[in-house]
Amino acid sequence: MLPLSALLLGLLAFALAWPVPVVLGRAAWTRRDPLAALVCWQAVGLAGGLSIIGALLVHGLSPWGGSLPEAWWAWLRHWFTGAQPADPVRGDHWVAQTLAAVLALELVGVLVLSLVRTARTRARHRALLELLVDPVPGVDARVLESPVPAAFCIPGARPLLVLSSGMVAELAPGELAAVVAHERAHLAERHHLLLLPFVAWREALPVLPAADRAHDAVRDLVEMRADDVALRSLAGASSRRTLAKAIVAAADGGAPRGALAAGGGVLTTRVTRLLDPPAPLPRWARPLAVGSAVALGGGPTLLAGSYKHLKRPTKLLVENLGGAGIINKKR
Amino acid sequence: MESLGELERAVMDQLWSRTAPVSAAELRDALADRGLALTTVHTVLTRLEGKGFVAHDEARPRRFAARATREEHAAGLMHEVLGQAADRQAVLARFIGSASPGEADMLRALLADNP
Repeated sequence: MLPLSALLLGLLAFALAWPVPVVLGRAAWTRRDPLAALVCWQAVGLAGGLSIIGALLVHGLSPWGGSLPEAWWAWLRHWFTGAQPADPVRGDHWVAQTLAAVLALELVGVLVLSLVRTARTRARHRALLELLVDPVPGVDARVLESPVPAAFCIPGARPLLVLSSGMVAELAPGELAAVVAHERAHLAERHHLLLLPFVAWREALPVLPAADRAHDAVRDLVEMRADDVALRSLAGASSRRTLAKAIVAAADGGAPRGALAAGGGVLTTRVTRLLDPPAPLPRWARPLAVGSAVALGGGPTLLAGSYKHLKRPTKLLVENLGGAGIINKKR
Repeated sequence: MESLGELERAVMDQLWSRTAPVSAAELRDALADRGLALTTVHTVLTRLEGKGFVAHDEARPRRFAARATREEHAAGLMHEVLGQAADRQAVLARFIGSASPGEADMLRALLADNP
């Protein structure tokens, strides 16, 4: 029989692979507090991986013991001493174990690969920039000779902020300061680390539309968050408008034409929320988001930890659902 | 003592300003005001070759040339950072990712509507 927690983990994995990203991706509140939304996305990503691997593992190891550590131990002993499991091990148990191992290896492997590749690309870009552009003493920004208006940063131990000469020519000094503040915000809050797992997993799971959706949402939220942080360091009552004007000018000046759905993408959203700021979320929203995120991350772990020693299934169900953040959210 | 990065830049500037390949000795002479030893010039050239910026021919002595012009490097970098591939490479944080042709007009209208 399938242990209850394998079933619950499977359900959680399904929810996190389809309905939850759809709802979170469409939710309007996320643009009111990008940081809270980013926390939620990280939790969805982490819990999604944990729950699907956990579900397979719990089912695959269920004949070997009542909790994951116990079952693991028994399983290892089986290979070294030939000790037999408590319950008969069927083919589907082996399949589940193998799938769990393959999936875990793939997710972690792709993440490491992506990390290495990104680091290499950044090192190459940095080397190029250091050759192409003379540093200005005391300034961590460099101006690259190019007519295309662009601003970007290369994160790392020695972060580098790059503006193209086209961008400098296009923008008024105040607007340029707003752009620099925006890029500094990315670097200061290490946004590249928030984005990295989603870049990696989108490549690992091309069949999963949620991976695509999550990546795009996180990429856009990071930009909104950087706008918010930039505004804090910009003086003046019209800083919101200045930043909005900088975005429009940069988009106007021949930024590359990506394929984008009509009706406005993230640029429209960014400009709109700068010019006409939405009301901030209520005070309790952020702790709630963080609480749900922690519960989401911890839930699958708890579920996988003890799956069989349940005397009262109903009580357990409630506890586990609470731990998984499902009941929490409706509070 | 000058940093390696600075020397690399000086050597690249020399190579970029020339049309024909040059030997390490010629480079040392061109950079005479820095008082470099020939081995230092070779070290810098080897590093630049390792990074893919410089190539040498099989003449004796070897002559070195830049693999691409400064403008080509700048254009290539911009293309990488701004192009479609950038998403995959996690080249983070371009101020403006991409704008579709209609979007720039829409943004200008937004700005005009909210004085």
